[in-house]
Amino acid sequence: MGRPPIEPMRTSRKLNFLDGQQLIDLQEATFRILEDTGVLFPSDKALDIFLEHGAIVDRDTQIVKFPRDVVIKAMKSVPRYFTLGARNPEFDLKLQEGVSYFTNDGCGHIVVELKTGERRASTKKDVGMAARINDYLSSMAFSWTMVSAQDCGLTSPLHEIDATWRNNTKHYQSVTMRGEAICRYGVEMATVLRGSEEELRSRPPISLIVCTIAPLVQDKEALEGALVLGEKGIPIVVMSMPTMGTTAPATYAGALAVGDAEVISAVVLMQLANPGAPVFHSILHAWADPRTAAYVGYPLDSRARYAPVEIAHHWGMPSLGGAFGTEASEPDSWRSAAEIATDPLLVALAGAEIVTGIGLRDTYTTLYPESFILDDDLYHSARFSLLDMDVNPDTLAVDVIAAVKPGGHFLSQKHTRRNMRTSMVRGVNHQLDQSGKYRDPGEYAREKVQWIMDNHHPEPPDEDVQNEIDRILKTADNELNS
Amino acid sequence: MSEKLYKKLMDTVIEGEPEDAEQFAKEALEANLDPLDCINKGLVPGIQKVGELFSTGEYYLPELIIGADAMKAALEILEPALVGGQKREVVGMVVLGTVEGDLHEIGKTLVGTMLTANGFKVVDIGVDQSAEEFVKAAKEHDADIVGASALLTTTMLQQKKLVEALESAGLKDKVKVMVGGAPVTDGYAQEIGADGYAEDAISAVDIAFRLMDAPV
Repeated sequence: MGRPPIEPMRTSRKLNFLDGQQLIDLQEATFRILEDTGVLFPSDKALDIFLEHGAIVDRDTQIVKFPRDVVIKAMKSVPRYFTLGARNPEFDLKLQEGVSYFTNDGCGHIVVELKTGERRASTKKDVGMAARINDYLSSMAFSWTMVSAQDCGLTSPLHEIDATWRNNTKHYQSVTMRGEAICRYGVEMATVLRGSEEELRSRPPISLIVCTIAPLVQDKEALEGALVLGEKGIPIVVMSMPTMGTTAPATYAGALAVGDAEVISAVVLMQLANPGAPVFHSILHAWADPRTAAYVGYPLDSRARYAPVEIAHHWGMPSLGGAFGTEASEPDSWRSAAEIATDPLLVALAGAEIVTGIGLRDTYTTLYPESFILDDDLYHSARFSLLDMDVNPDTLAVDVIAAVKPGGHFLSQKHTRRNMRTSMVRGVNHQLDQSGKYRDPGEYAREKVQWIMDNHHPEPPDEDVQNEIDRILKTADNELNS
Repeated sequence: MSEKLYKKLMDTVIEGEPEDAEQFAKEALEANLDPLDCINKGLVPGIQKVGELFSTGEYYLPELIIGADAMKAALEILEPALVGGQKREVVGMVVLGTVEGDLHEIGKTLVGTMLTANGFKVVDIGVDQSAEEFVKAAKEHDADIVGASALLTTTMLQQKKLVEALESAGLKDKVKVMVGGAPVTDGYAQEIGADGYAEDAISAVDIAFRLMDAPV
């Protein structure tokens, strides 16, 4: 059985959470934060770049303040659309209006064994397993580091690339690469895979998530690594995760303003260093429980959930939307579906170009392999909801209705025979057992994921490419793990 | 010639072409073929194949129903032409309908189709049928089983009336009663003295075989 094609979310519809004035007000707040409060950049390299381009840099505090014109000028070079290359060119992703490409969640550190239920720390083998499941599923347009290769030491981000490429032919977005040294090795591996620097730039097979530290602090290692990738045209996602009440104001607009200022300050750096470098904007906000300070991603009131996508577009940037990621600790409970069920629909309607993240539980930490299948089902439910309906003489079936007459039934109609098979699409909830009863969705998901692991074997990189990657990994291990 | 027509009749059932089935049945009679052979060598293997394809998941409900419709269309031509003591062999005779005050049709139609596909002869007396009409049809067709469908909590009470009417008519020992419908339960079926309850059309076949004391 072949691999299903990628089925991204497509819609011509648009859901606006914010009106024009609100977007202007939010952007104005970001300008004011950048101008008056500034952002902490604990990186001499970054400070040098800012100084060179007219930002106000305090070397002692490492706080950078941004005159408005510096921001505006830098943001002008941000590309709105570009291509995320894949190992298999069929899976290259061309960013475009009305299409949302989804990936899995990341980066977890616990795996629950499918057969035994044993909970344990994730390994490089698990990275490969997740990449293989991702490669099979049509909901998955690209791949993320789903769990970390904790058995590989400091070079684990490079081993995660290796495990992914051995098991996955789509674009890979690393969630874990940090620091110049690791990122230089990552670039070397990607260049070997692609064959040349030109190919790497036009169809980058990897990209990187860079997280800020709320409130208003940048991560030195993450940023300096991102600058290495940016120089080679490898896309970067700058992601802020403001938590309302603790690391951000307890108001939604205030949290978005803080998150946006963090993202934009890093994007400005990327553009000043390498004008035109491909970058994504992402704000994954959350709430702090006012009694316990626990991280809460899904309170009852999470209005305007995907307003960050509009903020990104208002800046003229593509957006990464964060969906799924329930706090439920079970793979298939009411909570694990209910918290996240509307996410894929809302984020696609908001128009996010890329979206994470299917399949983890316990707030992005735990991988039950079967959760991949269950969340994939929620994805497709949303995808079907957004498909256009066919209205034409054949689908209206007025003649058929006349033939049946009041009180009859349609099962005897050839029109029904022609259409009934495809009119109801079976998800995990409607899989039949031998006696015609609907099966337990969790049980079905466990069987399906086992089937994928047993039967789906994506083509690995060519032998000479793999040999070269092995050599790079060995060099990196010797240098960084010793 | 005869084998070809049997095959054509079989195929019309498998492929679900009622108009063709009727046409080939007429051609068979014009060619002086034995109508019982046409049934046993053409239609019956055809409907058995349909049942098999349905149970393996290849066929869906419309293929099942239209296959049964094709068989029914041919039988309407062939059965009146049976001569002397000729009678087609069936697992059992079932009179089926929806109870009085209830106009829901599809459930008992599906049960009828499944039973037909599994070798039963089914007389569907339609919807909104009183207990007396069920009893009358059971007598007329010498029924082995009477199946009564009810979709409403208010009309399921008629199933009890049907059991009582069969008792009054002295048929309760001879005719088994099967009940079904959304509000009906196994417990309710036992409470009113019905002989069998099926929650869907597929399990209705198993119940009917059990009531006939025939192998499933």
